Amino acid sequence: MTLAFPYRFAIVIYGEDGARLGAVAARRDWEPAHEWTRFYFQRRGQLGLDGNGSASSVIPLWEHTLGEPYCRGYRIQIEAPVGRPVASDFPNTHFRDFAAAVASRFVAQKKLREGEFYSYMVVAHPAPPEAAKAGGLSVTNASPSLPARDASLAGCLARATPSGVIDMDDMPVFVSRSVLDEAAKLTHAKEGTETGGILIGTLGRDTNAGEILAEITAQIPAEHTSGSHVKLTFTPETWAAADAALRLRRRGEIYLGYWHSHPVRAWCKARACTPEAQKTCYLAKDFFSPDDEAVMRAAFPRAYSIAMVANDTAFTDLTFSMFGNREGITQPRGFYVLEEAIHGA
Amino acid sequence: MGKPETTLDIPLEISDVSGQKVFSVANAPTANTVGELVHEMIGKMNLPRNDAGGAPLTYQARSEREGRHLNASERIGDALQRGDRLTLQPNIDAGLR
Repeated sequence: MTLAFPYRFAIVIYGEDGARLGAVAARRDWEPAHEWTRFYFQRRGQLGLDGNGSASSVIPLWEHTLGEPYCRGYRIQIEAPVGRPVASDFPNTHFRDFAAAVASRFVAQKKLREGEFYSYMVVAHPAPPEAAKAGGLSVTNASPSLPARDASLAGCLARATPSGVIDMDDMPVFVSRSVLDEAAKLTHAKEGTETGGILIGTLGRDTNAGEILAEITAQIPAEHTSGSHVKLTFTPETWAAADAALRLRRRGEIYLGYWHSHPVRAWCKARACTPEAQKTCYLAKDFFSPDDEAVMRAAFPRAYSIAMVANDTAFTDLTFSMFGNREGITQPRGFYVLEEAIHGA
Repeated sequence: MGKPETTLDIPLEISDVSGQKVFSVANAPTANTVGELVHEMIGKMNLPRNDAGGAPLTYQARSEREGRHLNASERIGDALQRGDRLTLQPNIDAGLR
């Protein structure tokens, strides 16, 4: 499951006049794109649910006109047990944030003027062979297979109500109404302060539909946290308490992600936002901060993991937004609400 | 506390919070500290070292056998036994930033 890098990627920054200002070795977190690729093909039955041993690599996609070393994107390629490798292609926009950070550095170094337009290109060169490191830990990946039970997607859909924009490329996620009710109750009880919990449930596999689905059966209130109106701190004690609660349930559930509240009404009050401004504010719905994303990355890195936000605004009833990994990036997504749990359907 | 290990290294199993990312370590040096083990495993497991603002993330290792978080300064040979399973649990903020 370790990613191999036969090429080294770099970002070249150009100024407004097209002058080349410099190149910097590209740094990015490849893991979400790798996870997404693996899970995408597991969903479609082209990779086994135990994909731990599959060799994976990141290779450049050469730009059609300019050719090597200029890239139009990159490819994550994973060896399949039978037949050709599976692969997903990703655009250069995955390097945009890094390019912006480099441009900021260039501004500080006076290579680029403040406010000057810039452009960037991604280049790649063959990586020199790495010398074997002496000593160190000898580590092997022993991750469990995806614990997917047999399930009927059609059966679940027949009993569910869609919420939000459903993208048919996303893994279907079903949330028990009771989970939403509990999250709403906890949010209201802590009005003005962020609160949250751990989402647990099961994965199901419908081999006929060629799909894996998730059912969120319960939420475990996050204990031993500290919350304010702008943040919620999950501590090691939070995770330990959640582990204990999960084991006590003895239902074969796994962690599927986390939820937390956004006390938007408190944010608006602090900023003295007008009622009209509140209604159109980007923070009011489908807002997922870099900090929120960092929790996903550190605690729930698998591509099936999802996050839910309870939006507590002053102008409407509590709403829920869901986020998940789509094409290697955490994005808003739709889900289905189940009035009654299916659990093992 | 575990019975002190007298061998030079011991096998361990290390998991992330989700339990879906698990790595076997064949040779955790008993003379090293838990903090050193955690530091190296964060890299091996490709877990983030920094939060969204670039500040270092703190992970604590929880021993499943003892049901407690280990102190980073504890020696592996003193705190752990062969085959012990540790979970790396971060202290991390969800928030407006």
